[in-house]
Amino acid sequence: MIVIKSAAARKVIKVLVPALLIPGVIAAGAYLFRGRHYYAVTLAVAMLSLMLFAAGFERKKTGTRRLIIVSVMVALSVAGRFIPFFKPITALTVITGVYLGGEAGFLCGSMAAVISNFYFGQGPWTPFQMFSWGLIGLFAGLLGGMLKKSRALIVMYGAVSGVLYSFVMDIWTVLWYDKGFDPALYFAALGTALPHTLLYTASNAVFLWLCARPFGEKLERVKIKYGV
Amino acid sequence: MKRLEDYNPTTIFLYFLAVTVVPTVFVDPALAALSLSGAAAYYILRGQGRLRDFYVYGGLLLAMALINPLFRHNGVTVLFVMGNNPITLEATIYGFVASSMILSVILWFSTFSRIMTSEKLLYLFGRVSPKLALILSMALRYIPLFSTQAKRVGDAQKVLGLYKEDNIIDDIRGGARVFGVMVSWALENGIITADSMAARGYGIGRRSSFAIYKFTRADAALLLMILTLFGAAAGVSVLLGVSFTFYPAIKPPPSLPAAAVYSAYALLSFLPAALEVWECVKWKYLLSKI
Repeated sequence: MIVIKSAAARKVIKVLVPALLIPGVIAAGAYLFRGRHYYAVTLAVAMLSLMLFAAGFERKKTGTRRLIIVSVMVALSVAGRFIPFFKPITALTVITGVYLGGEAGFLCGSMAAVISNFYFGQGPWTPFQMFSWGLIGLFAGLLGGMLKKSRALIVMYGAVSGVLYSFVMDIWTVLWYDKGFDPALYFAALGTALPHTLLYTASNAVFLWLCARPFGEKLERVKIKYGV
Repeated sequence: MKRLEDYNPTTIFLYFLAVTVVPTVFVDPALAALSLSGAAAYYILRGQGRLRDFYVYGGLLLAMALINPLFRHNGVTVLFVMGNNPITLEATIYGFVASSMILSVILWFSTFSRIMTSEKLLYLFGRVSPKLALILSMALRYIPLFSTQAKRVGDAQKVLGLYKEDNIIDDIRGGARVFGVMVSWALENGIITADSMAARGYGIGRRSSFAIYKFTRADAALLLMILTLFGAAAGVSVLLGVSFTFYPAIKPPPSLPAAAVYSAYALLSFLPAALEVWECVKWKYLLSKI
């Protein structure tokens, strides 16, 4: 495995990966596979972006308390399944992003994906789940100011991101199956996932409606009390 | 010779990468069949499978395979016409090949999840990113902790008569309240953990790992073999352009390079099953000498 011990090497990766590797991978994929096998390219790009993010995070000085709070949020989103009908990963990722910042949101989403896959099975889909849940958290952080103020907006964001998550994951399903992108197959995949998507979206919205405020207050309180 | 699961996590990880990449990148009936049978052999030899699982997998295979000809109408050999849409032989065969490939990857990864425990994954990726590994291992520890604590809080709330489980609304509201309590408790608990870690000098030196996995000569040998077989299968496929054409008409690749690719991949695919059998035979043989 790649062992990145020195900080300097990590810095190099941080510059090198976006500048060379990602376009390089896309170009090589287009050349080698003559436009087929998009899924291999998308998988490589997803993994490189995750690596990039890890390198950036590793470089920063992050307090121990902050690290632990993120892992608490990750654990809560996986363990939160004990409430009937709730699958709180998306909702908690959104809350983490809004109240602790985009980076924490990305971490919470992507780590929750890895951990819940310890229970549900890892696979080539893991990097995609990490990536899409991570992005949900990241964007929640970027829109944090707006989402914090309005209950309706945060519920809407949760619902939309649940639907988008399903759309993105089905793109991957179709790419994997078909090696190309066939809209008919894509809509078939979306159709079979529809009941699940609807339940998921509704549960996100309800969870955020009920819990965003109190949850946020608790996080804010801890932030003030301990100066995280 | 050891079982695959007894090798270094690096070797195991690269093996699973190699064995799943080949059939996913080069869609080919022979590769898909080899991958599926290799994965199934290993799955069964490890004693993971119950008969019922295979019914489920078989159903999955059939369902996934039949989606393709229903939505794809490429191909020259029309089997029959349904509605206004021709159902073609080529699309049907592609469906079966693609779904066996996907099923084989699912089987490989189900064994992978059993073999690569979170401890091994942490060993593997903890060196790439110690902070992420910390988050991961803390969260993994918190999940059972939170579950037991949540049960305690829930029991206490029920005993106090704060909620019943009779109707859904009450159940959800009670669950939400327990969750709220848990959040406060977990965050405070986390801060205490963090302070305790800081007091013991977390982040001062290099992080060490609980589990020590040595990269031995046997690992190097197996890894070399894996990489050679993978390189042979993938290299010949890419360089000589061995690819199976499905549309518009089925055209298998030229037989000589294809045979090389298939045999290299067959060795790769049946490697863990062979190691498993070898270990078992050796064990029986040694027992018989006692």
